[in-house]
Amino acid sequence: MSQPIDPMPTLAQRADASYLDFVEGFREYILGKGADFEGRLNSALTTEEARRGTAWRDVEEIREFVHAMPLGRLRDRLARTQQEMKWHALRRSFEAQRVELAAELAAWDGRGPGRLELDPQFVYPPYVNVHFHLQPGGYYKDELSGFLYHYGTKVFFRGDNDRDELHAKLVATVPPPTDGRVTKILDLACSIGQSSTAFKRRFPQAEVTGIDYSAPMLRVAHRRAAMLGDDVTFAQRLVEDTHYADAEFDITFAFIVFHELPLRIIRETVREASRVTRPGGTFAIFDFTGTRDKSPFQRYHRWFDARHNGEPYSQDFCDCNLAEILAEHSFVVAAAPVGQRSGGAGYMQHWFATRG
Amino acid sequence: MAERSRPAAQTLQGQTLEGQTPEGGTPLAGADPVYLEDPVLDATVRMVVELAAQVWVERERRLVLEALLESRGIVSPEAIESFKPDAARAAALKAERARFIEDVFKELRRIPVAPAARASSR
Repeated sequence: MSQPIDPMPTLAQRADASYLDFVEGFREYILGKGADFEGRLNSALTTEEARRGTAWRDVEEIREFVHAMPLGRLRDRLARTQQEMKWHALRRSFEAQRVELAAELAAWDGRGPGRLELDPQFVYPPYVNVHFHLQPGGYYKDELSGFLYHYGTKVFFRGDNDRDELHAKLVATVPPPTDGRVTKILDLACSIGQSSTAFKRRFPQAEVTGIDYSAPMLRVAHRRAAMLGDDVTFAQRLVEDTHYADAEFDITFAFIVFHELPLRIIRETVREASRVTRPGGTFAIFDFTGTRDKSPFQRYHRWFDARHNGEPYSQDFCDCNLAEILAEHSFVVAAAPVGQRSGGAGYMQHWFATRG
Repeated sequence: MAERSRPAAQTLQGQTLEGQTPEGGTPLAGADPVYLEDPVLDATVRMVVELAAQVWVERERRLVLEALLESRGIVSPEAIESFKPDAARAAALKAERARFIEDVFKELRRIPVAPAARASSR
């Protein structure tokens, strides 16, 4: 039997894979039940809350308390360190294969199925110049950014998404428009296109387009889709200014996009989604849950992740009311939590909105 | 609390974290935030974790090797114990050793040349 096609980039040597295997296990240990920092720190926080007789005023107050504890400071040190180690190993491993990987991308750029539409005039807006998750160079500054991202998320998902299982599962839950018509689908900020191809497989007759600002991500997305035989278009465009026609799409989709956008762009993106999604069409969003109903430690972790893990916009997103913004732009929203995931407060939620 | 002023540290890609241009949101920590009492402690913790990673890399490889050698009847444990590298192999081992030391102890370079301060830079 032949080996299944695997678009995951290979590492330069076995030692790199085992190093990252360590990071994956270590991450789970310090963020999960192994070291149980979360349980112990949250217990200290709730005990202190009870002693004071008042709820924590804000995350600043929680932070002062956590930082006064050696356990809290050590937890933060380790959480930052494991992320730095991941990128250190990945950067070195891909750097060692730079020529080959660049040639690999170039070889797939013009091949089908599907096509790649890069914009030679594209200007990256300043707000995207962020090293999200501490990825060196962020999402777009290196030709190999897409490969770094792909393997980086493999470690993040602890191997549970090696064959894009998570994307397939989430895409399968998206409700199609009630009239059943699905001819065009838009995947906003598609990164390496895992949701885009999941949509193509679910709706083989539909025309699926994934857009992103990052050319390196789109090139990896195209290579990946073409390798898998999925006919998807990947285009370099901004989610807040897509230049597609009014009411062009039956389903518009955004998977963990909004928490990496400034509030201004969140509003512009919802407005744009409202413009390009046809009346009766679906706008489906998966992203972080709000922090208001979270435990004191989870509120702390959200702040920590924002400041120390290159997520400057996530705190504002979690504090905003996305359902309200959607409603302001002619969407009728149903939202429900997706379920718990590992990694501190990293819970996801979906917003399934119908364009009115 | 003010961010401690530091020279722009090179990140892994030759990019500096200081060069980012986020629009509002939560202020980002710099390249080398100090979490513990002083930067030496931070470096020590990083080195310990790095060592653990290196130990795992070695152990994983050795387990694979031993399994292969045993299953194929190629090399006995005694042959490994008495192995003497030739000049080329010895040079390669030295280069590998340098890489190992750099991996673990690169943290020493991240300790700033400045008086220790309490962990107030975060």
